[in-house]
Amino acid sequence: MSSPIFALSGVGVRYGKNTALAGVDLTVEPGERVAIIGPSGAGKSTLIGVLNGTIAATSGEVTALGCDYRRASAREIRKSQRRVGTIHQRFDLVEQLRTVHNVNAGRLGSWPFWKAALSLLLPRDVQRVQAALDRVGIGDKLHHRTGDLSGGEQQRVAIARVLVQDPVMILADEPVASIDPARGREIMSLLLELSAEVGVTLLACLHDVEMALGSFERVVGLRAGQIAFDKKRADLTDDEVDALYAFERATEPR
Amino acid sequence: MTTTCRREAAESPSESSGTSTPPPAPERGTGAAERSRKRRGWALLIVAAIVISAVAAGIGRGQVIKSEGAGSLFDFFAAAASPRLDAEFLALTGTAMLTTLAYAVLGTALSLVIGLIGGVLSSQAWWASGVRSRRGRRLAGWGLARAVLVVPRGIHEVVWGLFFLVVFGIDPIVAVLAIGIPFGAVTAKVFSELLDETGRKPYTALLAAGSSKWSAMLYGLLPPALPDLISYGFYRFECAIRSAAILGLVGAGGLGFQLALSFQTLRYPEIWTLLFALILLSVAADYWSSLVRSARARGRRRSRDGGGVRRDPLLTASLVFGAVLIALSAWWVGLDIAVLWSGKAWEFGIQLLSEAWPPSVGGTGVSGLLMLAGVTLAMSIVAITIAFGLGALFAVPASTPAQGRDHVERGAVARIARTAAMLASRFVLVVLRAIPPPVWALLLLFVMYPGILPGAIALAVYTTGVLGRLMAESVDNLDARPLRAIRATGASASKVFCYGVIPAAAPRFVAYGLYRWEVTIRETVVVGVVGAGGLGLLLDHQIGSFNYAGALTTLATLILLTLVVDVTSAAIRRSVR
Repeated sequence: MSSPIFALSGVGVRYGKNTALAGVDLTVEPGERVAIIGPSGAGKSTLIGVLNGTIAATSGEVTALGCDYRRASAREIRKSQRRVGTIHQRFDLVEQLRTVHNVNAGRLGSWPFWKAALSLLLPRDVQRVQAALDRVGIGDKLHHRTGDLSGGEQQRVAIARVLVQDPVMILADEPVASIDPARGREIMSLLLELSAEVGVTLLACLHDVEMALGSFERVVGLRAGQIAFDKKRADLTDDEVDALYAFERATEPR
Repeated sequence: MTTTCRREAAESPSESSGTSTPPPAPERGTGAAERSRKRRGWALLIVAAIVISAVAAGIGRGQVIKSEGAGSLFDFFAAAASPRLDAEFLALTGTAMLTTLAYAVLGTALSLVIGLIGGVLSSQAWWASGVRSRRGRRLAGWGLARAVLVVPRGIHEVVWGLFFLVVFGIDPIVAVLAIGIPFGAVTAKVFSELLDETGRKPYTALLAAGSSKWSAMLYGLLPPALPDLISYGFYRFECAIRSAAILGLVGAGGLGFQLALSFQTLRYPEIWTLLFALILLSVAADYWSSLVRSARARGRRRSRDGGGVRRDPLLTASLVFGAVLIALSAWWVGLDIAVLWSGKAWEFGIQLLSEAWPPSVGGTGVSGLLMLAGVTLAMSIVAITIAFGLGALFAVPASTPAQGRDHVERGAVARIARTAAMLASRFVLVVLRAIPPPVWALLLLFVMYPGILPGAIALAVYTTGVLGRLMAESVDNLDARPLRAIRATGASASKVFCYGVIPAAAPRFVAYGLYRWEVTIRETVVVGVVGAGGLGLLLDHQIGSFNYAGALTTLATLILLTLVVDVTSAAIRRSVR
């Protein structure tokens, strides 16, 4: 429990003239379960991208698992990316591939290239994939084309992909926003269960405030690219949460 | 995802009939097994077809390479460094260039007019509206409009050109009609699909409010579909430049005509000057068209994201410029549409048709005709197989390296190397497709004996240029999110490519390959004309010897063959999707 998993200080991200994030300071310790809430456009997805190393910060310092993203070599970054699993809102699976390959894509960071290429013809480590699919409850879908699965099933495939990746940290970007509410609650509790089981750190962006307040110990409020609050669930008041969204309502009609 | 695919299919030169039908509901279990079984069947059939075609084309048999021609081919390429650049020849080239450009502009304009009217008349929206009771009549009308468009689409520009040359003699109207009619029929089909994809609610609302069909169309359906039609028109313009050059080869004037003259006298430096001019024209048209089309794609993304519909200044400016160009072109070539209703042309036309009717099999006999049809088919299959492989090879380096844009890794050196590779492969592709297949065929005949193999290779070289670009565009248009997700697991670029790019792009590559196969079977005529064999060569001989009855039979065989290819290709595409 010595060094933090993530340490951001003064992180900003700009796309041309648009500022997506500005002056974000955030530290995540091992074993924590953090929910990020905030109105749409607040910069939640950008924050996830910065954390898993697919979006470069335009200013500030990003350290993930002891690796300084701004100074490390591509190889070192990939090494730390390998230990961070991400689940995306739109699942972000390759629909044309069979489920087994999409799950195995979680191993790409640790496989040599020849093994990755060979696996597309003769799937490798099928048992491990099968175990992961069993764990997320779709063990019978191993050889289905991913695009043929329903939304909830696809998100389970994405979770299985993270499971075989064997990460120390799971990032979830609106994991349930594209699924119907009942399935969404199932997926969410599955995620929480898994993180407790293996003891991985979990950081999730959620649009659903109820869900965030109900299941996470630490809640971070993001608004217009800046952190509005960062508190223990117990210390958070309803007024603070309302203010996060009230601000949006006041400025929205432009 | 599905919507994007279909949108892109409409934007791309796809003439597939599938774009307007909704995707089938996701099948599970037995459905998926059935589909993969079907796919395996097709794969087997394709491999068999390729092997048979390769054998038929004479691959592996001797007497293909003419070694003594290598010297002239070397001389030819050596001449590239010293094209003829004196003032007299440059003036001639410039004039020819303007003529080719003018033909392309006027042909495209005509095709847009035909496409607009034909598209409306063959759209389901047009025939679906109205009173319920006359359903049968409406279906018949729609079917008739579609059927009328099939024949002009099945006949290649060059064949139209040869026909109109007989009717009008050497006149600018020949090239304009020869480009405008087949292109118009294709545009009509694409436009009708665009119209049927556009939301129909505003249109039916207007009809319900009692407006007439044409005005409801004008207010409710055309405005949202028009920008897509225009951007498609620009793509057609690009193709029209190449067609105008080919038409020149058969005698319609312009760059192609000059090329043919210089080829006959083997003046290599002149050929190179003309080729450079053609490449220049092609590249300029390509660039303009891709500017307009990417602006259109941006606009569509914006409106999809809820940003509202905005007028694109580039599109408007291009439209105004296009209108000016049409007027200038008509003046430059001295277009006189009065010849259309001159008595003499009608007389010639009617005489030609009466000589052609009834069609006769002529000297070759039915078995000979079938044989030639088989040879033509083999030529197209060999051509598309080579082009598919080479195109896919070029497509990946030619795609925009945007996938690394928002990414942490990649050093400056790697980025520069990647950009250089992109520019180089794009340049190769543009040159390959700027030079029309008959010119490639003429070049190949230096080193190969006449036959279907040089024809197939000529078609393959040209098609590689087209296919490589279409494939590169489809790699550009891949959904970036799954790729990012795979990269987020720490996978290297080559692994992202294996797991993300190939599986997602492969079905589109196959679809494009099949679409180009449909085009290639039509283009076998073009290389046939320069002696590469097949039905095209026969047709050329028959027209040359005024055997119109025989030519009509050959033409009918050719149309039938293209129909068979179209149906097969559509069936394979359905199983791939």
